[in-house]
Amino acid sequence: MKRYNIFYFIGQAFAGLWRNGVMSFASVAVLMSCLVVIGGFSLIVKNIDLNLEQFGNLNEIVVFCNTEATEEEIVAVGEQIGKLDNIASIRRITKAEGLAQMKAEYDVYDDVSEENNPLPDSYEITYVDTEKVGELDYQLHQIEGITKVNNRLDLATSIESVKSGVMLIFVWFLAILSVVSVFIIINTIKLSVFARRHEISIMRYVGATSWFITLPFIFEGIIIGLFSSVIAYFAEWYIYSYIETMVMADLQMISILTFAEIKNTVLFGFMGLGVVAGIIGSSISLSKYLKS
Amino acid sequence: MIDFVNVKKAYPNGTMALKGVNLHIDEGEFVFIVGHSGAGKTTIMKLLLREEKISSGQLIVGGHDLAAMSNYKVPYYRRELGVVFQDFRLFPKKTVFENVAFAMEVVGTPRKKIVRRVPAILNTVNLAGKQDSFPNEISGGEQQRVALARALANNPKIIIADEPTGNIDPKMSLEIMSLLMKINKLGKTVIVVTHEKNLVDYYKQRVVMLKDGLIVEDHVGGMFQ
Ligand SMILES: Nc1ncnc2c1ncn2[C@@H]1O[C@H](COP(=O)(O)OP(=O)(O)OP(=O)(O)O)[C@@H](O)[C@H]1O
Ligand SMILES: [Mg+2]
Repeated sequence: MKRYNIFYFIGQAFAGLWRNGVMSFASVAVLMSCLVVIGGFSLIVKNIDLNLEQFGNLNEIVVFCNTEATEEEIVAVGEQIGKLDNIASIRRITKAEGLAQMKAEYDVYDDVSEENNPLPDSYEITYVDTEKVGELDYQLHQIEGITKVNNRLDLATSIESVKSGVMLIFVWFLAILSVVSVFIIINTIKLSVFARRHEISIMRYVGATSWFITLPFIFEGIIIGLFSSVIAYFAEWYIYSYIETMVMADLQMISILTFAEIKNTVLFGFMGLGVVAGIIGSSISLSKYLKS
Repeated sequence: MIDFVNVKKAYPNGTMALKGVNLHIDEGEFVFIVGHSGAGKTTIMKLLLREEKISSGQLIVGGHDLAAMSNYKVPYYRRELGVVFQDFRLFPKKTVFENVAFAMEVVGTPRKKIVRRVPAILNTVNLAGKQDSFPNEISGGEQQRVALARALANNPKIIIADEPTGNIDPKMSLEIMSLLMKINKLGKTVIVVTHEKNLVDYYKQRVVMLKDGLIVEDHVGGMFQ
């Protein structure tokens, strides 16, 4: 019997935003900046994860044999490694296999043939106990015929510590920026409610429900959230692409996600956060009306 | 229809606005509420609207126990009441039609019904032909009639008016009062707070006099000698 028109609420919400132009603009600007920063941090963390992954299994050590070693010597090295404690698996990579891997990854190996292959034979070792990797490293160095032990532990731990540092700052930023965004939305909606206080009081006298009265303001919060998220998306896109090309050009050993790979996550993530911030902000400023 | 049983009202700051009011109003009655400033007249209206809650006693309106009523039911209860204020409280940027229609819109009345009903109500308050005017284009008396039309929009059983003639030209007061009488004849219970002794005397209706939060007189037939 009773029909409420959704366009009524949305229309009222836009009217409110327009009436409070400056505050609405400020809310969108602040919320947008917060989203861009939050998004930026998330993307940094995501890229760190990606790079960690690409360093391969972290409990992996690669040892290289002497380039001039004979087949028997190489097999002997393998046997000696096998006798050590703390070894989970061991896999030989012949110089031919090594070359094939390098050719696949780097153009400079295009001209290298099997005959002038400069690569040594190597063993990929995985170990059981990370705590005892120092000991293992030492033992591997003692084996005759091993020229180099590539232990990625140091790199891995330093990346991990960068990541946890970034995460720590991120969490703080997230907390502070969320509070700031919600706070400014609360004030915007409060102003909007204030501008319509006479109207609201009459609505109450003629029997409008709390929902009917508050819904336009909730929509106002949602619209602020959506606007901010869309603008933040484009800003993030611009900034990220800029960084992407910079990293690609100067720091080739770091791999970085392209924006195309993450754009949906960024857009929908921003929209979700923006809408939630809008709803929380407007609900807080309307709590008085929602109660009675 | 309306029953105040030993109703007391204390405001949060400690003011005892009503100190034990007993008042029974039947369906279809017309009642003037009079009394000096601060006697508690507006407080009675606010209690009826459930804008304020009683502090003790009992208040039953149209079968609803207002003290026990939960907040979410209040809007639906208010649709059984129509209210008019001294200061009209119209929207300056809405036309006469829109001001009246507003009361129906906010309770979800379909557009078709609004378009049919608003002109009929405006006719009842003798405002046919003014429906496209804005409040600043019509007189105070006419504005108050718009407010009255708005109060009638959702077809309430009770009309309450707090000094409806307080802000308008005395010559126009009679017109507002006679409209309220007419609405009463149409079957609505009407409660009017007023200071206008001559009007109260003229209409010879039931008069309830408040003094310092208590009813000191309650009789039919005009003012007090
Ligand atoms: N919200 C409030 N908080 C505290 N005290 C109030 C409040 N509203 C009214 N009062 C006090 O309660 C008493 C009754 O007030 P009320 O408004 O009911 O009087 P009234 O009869 O309508 O007076 P008037 O003729 O001046 O409109 C007065 O002493 C007033 O100061
Ligand atoms: Mg009063």
